[in-house]
Amino acid sequence: MSSRIFKDEGLVIRTRVLGEADRLVTLLTLKGGKFEAAARGARKMKSRLAAGVDIFTRGEYTFHRGKTWPIITGQYPKERFLWFREDPELYPYGLYLAELADRLIVGEEACPELYNLLLGSWRLLGKSGDRSLILRAFELKAAQYLGYSPGLHNCPGCGSEQIRGFGPGEGSMVCSDCWSADFISLDSGTIALARRLLEVPLHQVVMIRPSARQKNELSRMNSAFLAYHLDPGELKSKRLLDE
Amino acid sequence: MVYPGALKKLVEVLCLFPGIGPKTAQRLAFFLLGRSREEVVAIARAMVEAKDRLTFCEHCGSLAEAEQCDYCSDPKRDRSLLCIVQEPRDVLVLEQTGKYRGLYHVLHGALSPLDGIGPEELKLDRLVQRIEKLGLEEVIIATNPNVEGDATAGYLARLFNPLPVRVTRIAFGLPVGGDIEYADELTLSRALEGRREM
Ligand SMILES: [Zn+2]
Ligand SMILES: [Zn+2]
Repeated sequence: MSSRIFKDEGLVIRTRVLGEADRLVTLLTLKGGKFEAAARGARKMKSRLAAGVDIFTRGEYTFHRGKTWPIITGQYPKERFLWFREDPELYPYGLYLAELADRLIVGEEACPELYNLLLGSWRLLGKSGDRSLILRAFELKAAQYLGYSPGLHNCPGCGSEQIRGFGPGEGSMVCSDCWSADFISLDSGTIALARRLLEVPLHQVVMIRPSARQKNELSRMNSAFLAYHLDPGELKSKRLLDE
Repeated sequence: MVYPGALKKLVEVLCLFPGIGPKTAQRLAFFLLGRSREEVVAIARAMVEAKDRLTFCEHCGSLAEAEQCDYCSDPKRDRSLLCIVQEPRDVLVLEQTGKYRGLYHVLHGALSPLDGIGPEELKLDRLVQRIEKLGLEEVIIATNPNVEGDATAGYLARLFNPLPVRVTRIAFGLPVGGDIEYADELTLSRALEGRREM
């Protein structure tokens, strides 16, 4: 028998206005995956819930199973990523990761790796370092946790290790022999960059110093790769990124 | 329960109001049925008239009954001060304090890229033009103290930076009537930052 009350640690990745004074909060939680929960009265100034259910919050939450959504009955904020509130340039970067996480994760299945990836990326964006590189690492690592790889080592058509670029219709890397005109040609440095971003732990990503060309190529490749496997749709926060 | 058709329709319509469920709608419907015809007509007319006569001020976006709202057309208001708020009802709440005598600017929202609201949707270029034209001394940013409101305030502050005007953000305080021990840590730290001499 499942209890009507449950607790979880979560990251607030989206909030929406619900009725007159409530908020509908999308949480990525450690144990329960992604789900929406209602925060009753959270738009009122004196609400005791309001301070813990804003986007860019990590907190401990208590829920009561409701008819439509779980109802948040208690919150204890543990971490705020204040740089997203305070720096208008960083704000879209935090939003982009939240939006992407929201689109990529479908069910309520726990994925602690993804949880920690988002948490680590939000933290890292608050420090100095190459912001766009953090986004690229997030995209590649998130896809990997969800079971998708761009096939950075062998061409899936023939097994060759002579990778030349990315095939949007293949969803993976392709060699010269299997090449076709609409493929995205990649600098060997870009392929090496993608491999490193997948291999190194997140906090080391900011120590990599790729060229502007490699970053541009990787940005295009990642978009095509995510579009093929996970179809996140148009990401609204993207147009505000200064990449 | 089987409603007569007209009653069913009325309850359905009343359910459209925010915070009104079927039970309350039914109570309101019976309240209306218990009034005289004249009273019900007066209520209905007030709704239609408000809808027909109220628009948004061309200059500041506040609720107005003409092209220009009462605040913009009042010569006694302080024209060196401009307070920026998110919604028209925020103006009414600030007016109720009786502490503010300057002009207003209503954004009709906050920066919220995920809902498709960016700087263009808030018509921020028009706001900058207005500030330049008014020759203000101070702009007070009174957006909501949540992430969207804060991000909007930060964006505005940066946008106004080249203008010869003092830019301030409304202070964050503790809610009146409560105990400090129940305040969340963010509210409390902001209240400390905004402390004042006694
Ligand atoms: Zn091949
Ligand atoms: Zn006006």
